Amino acid sequence: MKSKKYYFKFSMDLLLFVLSLLILFGPMLSLALWSVAEQWYWPNLLPQKVGFSYWAQALGLKMSFAIGAVSIVPAFLRSIAIAVVTVVISMSIAIPAGYALAKFKVPFASLLLLLFLMPNAFPQQPIFVNLLSIFTKWGLAGTVTGVILVHVLVGLVYGIWITSSTFKAIPNHLIEAARSVGADSRTAFLKITLPLAAPGLLASSVFVFITSLDEFTGTFFIGLPFVNTLPLTLYSASGTNMQFASVIGVLLLIPSIIFMSLVQKLLKAEYVGGMG
Amino acid sequence: MSDSVIGRKGAVRLPSYVFLLFPAVAFILIMYAYPFILSFVKSFELDGAFSTANYKKAVDLYYKDITFTFLVTLFNSTLATLLGVLLSVYFRLNDSFISRTLIKLYRIPIFIPFVVVAQMMNSFLAPHGILNLFLGKVGLVNLDNPLQLFNFAGLSFGFAWKLIPFTVMIIFGGFQMIDNSYIEAARSAGAKLHQIIIKILIPMNSSSILVALVLVYSQIVGTFTLPYMLIGGKIPTTITVDIAHRVNYYRDFGVANALGVFSYIMVIVTAVYYLKMNMRDAKISHPQG
Repeated sequence: MKSKKYYFKFSMDLLLFVLSLLILFGPMLSLALWSVAEQWYWPNLLPQKVGFSYWAQALGLKMSFAIGAVSIVPAFLRSIAIAVVTVVISMSIAIPAGYALAKFKVPFASLLLLLFLMPNAFPQQPIFVNLLSIFTKWGLAGTVTGVILVHVLVGLVYGIWITSSTFKAIPNHLIEAARSVGADSRTAFLKITLPLAAPGLLASSVFVFITSLDEFTGTFFIGLPFVNTLPLTLYSASGTNMQFASVIGVLLLIPSIIFMSLVQKLLKAEYVGGMG
Repeated sequence: MSDSVIGRKGAVRLPSYVFLLFPAVAFILIMYAYPFILSFVKSFELDGAFSTANYKKAVDLYYKDITFTFLVTLFNSTLATLLGVLLSVYFRLNDSFISRTLIKLYRIPIFIPFVVVAQMMNSFLAPHGILNLFLGKVGLVNLDNPLQLFNFAGLSFGFAWKLIPFTVMIIFGGFQMIDNSYIEAARSAGAKLHQIIIKILIPMNSSSILVALVLVYSQIVGTFTLPYMLIGGKIPTTITVDIAHRVNYYRDFGVANALGVFSYIMVIVTAVYYLKMNMRDAKISHPQG
């Protein structure tokens, strides 16, 4: 015989489960439904007409002025290109720095750590505001170069921390063993350190890529109105065209969830939550 | 590994870490430290001369928003930490299908960027959105007078949706480190459930609870997307939205920076804690001490 207490606990468990599912998936369902809702009259719980015409329009497969949405393909390609360049630049700065922090006894190390931690400790929006006035003087405001520099700033700090903890995890005795059998430091790095660090460096690159793809605030200040990335296209659409904004939302959500769930095991929890 | 201090022919050569670190340090100095200092300098500058007028204007125009931002931050960081602890305790003490499934599902919002969360909430919480429809069909809300949620309540819902999963991830991670034997020992000694939670689980995991609180608090102060897309220019709104308005509509960098300094002050305690904690961790894990 199951006791009364058991049934009480089971029903509480079930309540938590149902409530969690409703709250977790309600907003996502709303986004998904709006992305395919062609007719949705209040107060019906579901759209009257479902279809992919906003998707077709957004992906550039169809041109219809009636819907009022434009192709997001250019913004999408621009976002991807910016993200790729951001990863290349961030990682080529972050890998040497992370390596130095992990494997050398650097003087003024605490000061350097402080410098690399500051961007995560304080709100970044005032930084973007001042970068806008600096970039305006330098002719970088409203340019793709300016946007990439801001994305590198956002990604670099994570890049440095992730790569440096990756390099720290590689035991020094492995490198010393290679050196003792005659490998020079370059060979030891290329044949021992780099292959062992590869998963961490890859995770870090993926993370920087997603951070750039999803970056909004920096691009808002530096890029607008001339450089339009996917998140900014979402923003401009959100006030006027719910379906179109939802299509872009789904398009941004999918790579974020897929890539982040792939790499999250390799990353410290606080990095994963720090995006957006 | 300091084999490079003395180069060939005895000439003094810079150690190789200088070259390795130089690009990163230079980049952060120019792209972060310089604008960071500039935000203080510009906040005290009006028409090229020293002035406190920007602060006066910022307080006069935006004292409601400064208070609102602080309240939103305080409320939501407390809520996210509290619910994070409660849910993590539940997940730690109940190893069932339900808790294992939920722990997996709770990760999803963490991976979704704020701009998409903002769009979701924009449609979900709207007066004619799914939430109101659902509550109306269940009979909790009169559909002629739907809930207006583009305010403190909706903003808090959005923050909770995105940040409670995050606090759960950090706090549950800490609970997982606590060995079952402690809990079993307390149970066999006759401890009640609430005693186990208050006397064992929470004290043994206080550091990760504090970390969760600090991270969530400073993240809320700095978030621009969610309040911008949900509340926008309505009063009251958050400082981040005001900064954007100041810059976009008036090119008024003085008041924008004064507001920025307010947001720095708002996070000063958590920022110092965050910096201290990470610098201590970095020193502990450094191979050369």
